[in-house]
Amino acid sequence: MSKDQTLQEILMAIPWFQQLSRDHLDLLAGFSHLVEVPQGKDLFKEGEAEDYLYVVINGRISIEIFAPGRGRLSIYTAEPLDVVGWSSVTPVVRQRTASARAVLDSRLIAMDAVSLRRLCEGDCALGCIVMRRIANVVAQRLLVTRLQLLDLFANPEQHEVHA
Amino acid sequence: MPEIKLYLGSRVAIRKPEFDRLLANLAQAGYQTIGPRVKDAAVVYGPIGGLRDLPQGVTSEQTAGYYRLKPSGNERYFDLTAGPQSWKQYLFPARSELFKLAKENGNWREELLNQATPKYAFIGVRACELSAIEVQDRVFLRDDFSDPIYRQRREQVFILAVDCLHPGGTCFCVSMGSGPAAKQGFDLKLTELDEVFLLEVGTQAGLDAIQDLSVESLAIKWQEDAARCLAEAARSMGRFIPDIKSVPDLLLNNLDHAEWDEVATRCLNCTNCTQVCPTCFCWDVEDATTLDGKTTQRSRVWDSCFNPAFSGLAGGNIRPNTKARYRQWLTHKMSTWVDQFGVLGCVGCGRCITWCPANIDITEEIKAIRVGARE
Amino acid sequence: MKDLAVASGTATRSEALIAPLWAKIIEIAPEAAGVSTYWLEFEDKAVRDRYRFAPGQFNMVYLPGYGEAAISISSHPGRPERIGHTVRFVGNVTRAISRLKRGDVLGLRGPFGVGWPLADHQGRDVVIAAGGIGLAPLRPAIYHILNHRADYGKVTIIYGARTPSDLLFRGEYDAWSEKGMEVLITVDRGDEDWTGQVGVVPILFYRLRLEAERSMLLTCGPEIMMRFVVFEGLARRIPQERIFLSMERNMKCGQGFCGHCQLGPYFICKEGPVFRFDQLAGFFNVENF
Repeated sequence: MSKDQTLQEILMAIPWFQQLSRDHLDLLAGFSHLVEVPQGKDLFKEGEAEDYLYVVINGRISIEIFAPGRGRLSIYTAEPLDVVGWSSVTPVVRQRTASARAVLDSRLIAMDAVSLRRLCEGDCALGCIVMRRIANVVAQRLLVTRLQLLDLFANPEQHEVHA
Repeated sequence: MPEIKLYLGSRVAIRKPEFDRLLANLAQAGYQTIGPRVKDAAVVYGPIGGLRDLPQGVTSEQTAGYYRLKPSGNERYFDLTAGPQSWKQYLFPARSELFKLAKENGNWREELLNQATPKYAFIGVRACELSAIEVQDRVFLRDDFSDPIYRQRREQVFILAVDCLHPGGTCFCVSMGSGPAAKQGFDLKLTELDEVFLLEVGTQAGLDAIQDLSVESLAIKWQEDAARCLAEAARSMGRFIPDIKSVPDLLLNNLDHAEWDEVATRCLNCTNCTQVCPTCFCWDVEDATTLDGKTTQRSRVWDSCFNPAFSGLAGGNIRPNTKARYRQWLTHKMSTWVDQFGVLGCVGCGRCITWCPANIDITEEIKAIRVGARE
Repeated sequence: MKDLAVASGTATRSEALIAPLWAKIIEIAPEAAGVSTYWLEFEDKAVRDRYRFAPGQFNMVYLPGYGEAAISISSHPGRPERIGHTVRFVGNVTRAISRLKRGDVLGLRGPFGVGWPLADHQGRDVVIAAGGIGLAPLRPAIYHILNHRADYGKVTIIYGARTPSDLLFRGEYDAWSEKGMEVLITVDRGDEDWTGQVGVVPILFYRLRLEAERSMLLTCGPEIMMRFVVFEGLARRIPQERIFLSMERNMKCGQGFCGHCQLGPYFICKEGPVFRFDQLAGFFNVENF
């Protein structure tokens, strides 16, 4: 079994890739590779270049931001089938805004971001599918973040005083 | 003159001075006779001993936020209409002691409260007020639950109802189906004409109270007069709510209507309406402990959904503004009350309109919500 | 005897706001910062023997001199001799309770309210979504299901709290997993030792595989969280009639009498605190209702 075929099988097991045609899948597989990250190791760090879009296959990736004096704060964990590093798909943000660290032994698919962007721009149908998927990911993350921001479980005194 | 035999349902007439004998009979039977009297420029309820205590020749001019007593121009005793008080203060007192605990050897022991139940005779219960008592019966006396304080007073109360022949400026009992005729639930019913009181016997207690009175049979003229006055009264309502049956759904379907914001700019949250309303029943629990910590007493006191603390929870207030609280009051009274008790909470007595310092009129509010309402 | 009638789970509540029955604190179990479970035992043996409650019901807990608080019962319904009340110290009464010790006495009135409708839904898959203190009124339901495991299908527990140290009953998750329940935990913010999920409860629905026709959803937590949980449940086609929420309002009498806890036509203490979503759907999203 060639490395590409294993990759395609893995890709096909991910629900949103199942929408793509065989040709598209082959193209994507062409610039993807598997990544293994042992527990405790970083996948990427804040400030690094946005080189890959990741999809978690196994394990758990913690998205963390470093605050001086407080250390690394985990603000989200990505589970199997979650996307990590979605901002690499939009050219606006130029570097990683958070670090990603494996809290369990993890396995991910990494897709070269530059190749993915080029492919999407050239093939609008594929681009639409990818962007729609990324928009869904961002929407979900935004919802999670907003609910975290509301600090629902805090004691009343910890909330801002409202009128 | 042949003796008139009295029985349940009898309708007779008495000359007005006989009324005092009626009250005396009630007093002898152990009742505290409570009725309308003039005090502090209003007609309020208090102990009465006879005709001399009643507001003879008095009536009230009422409109939104306005109440003045004025001479009626005649010699009748029961022309007046709803004042600021209702009979609920007797059946559901504004403050009741529930229990008292005393600390003994480190343990709390319940002390018996001296709760003798007063025996009241309500003299002059107008049709709308009778309806209000029926509404509160549904609130306080239920299959799964019955409030002992209300029940004990209610079981002993004697009701002398009055057909309302001169509705006030804010009255709308006809719209609510609660008047002006008092139909049932009374021990005695009185209809006042110039010369006589017409009496109708409702129960054995009512029969007993008039056994030794000098009664006359009902002249045709008197019957006709009474019927005519009642019909006239039904036509003289000061306010209307058309199509009352549609109001519950109207309110629940329009919880976002702009009118709620509008009325909130006028409402002062003063709670007058809930206090004068004869059906409002919300109450609060007060726990009071002596400074030495040895005795604690729990009381029940009237509360109002307009009080900010009413809906307060640790962490915030569910109804943090006037809009939310006014909406709660009106939707409860005119809509969800039906789901809870099978009838509307409003009897059309008009008190909330008269006694609102901001002149808010619920009949106008409902009218306003109909404009641009969602189905 | 009126006392026993009120104290048993099948109370026909015939007296308004009678004096409470006294119960001794036999154990205080700290659960998290600002939260402890008070284990109470009625002083009167006859009451102890007669008292029953259904999962989801609550007691009015009375501390003389301070007042009462409505506290959900969080212990095993099959073992009602000692009753657990998981208390969050947020108001005057609960803060006073936090200063009590073992052996101190509290008054109890109850149990009140309508609980989780487990008996009506045997054979179903059960999704339990709880947040913060909301796991407390659901724990008796979990115990009931564990006791009758064969009567229910797939059981999933989704639970979230602010931080790992705020997770309630942490020592029991493994036991629940071992008895065939899927337990998914998340926190709003992690700490250095946390290798679990960081996120919010509604998002955990994305990790589930649900069969809507077989499922029922029980949820309790901050109202915002419940709103989003219900949304996720509805999005996955669980019908409104099989989504159950436990609602909270200011309570005074606990008996559907004083008017404080009204939510639309319902007295939360009497027709709730557990409601079917279709009962609330008409006004659930109306602000400040």
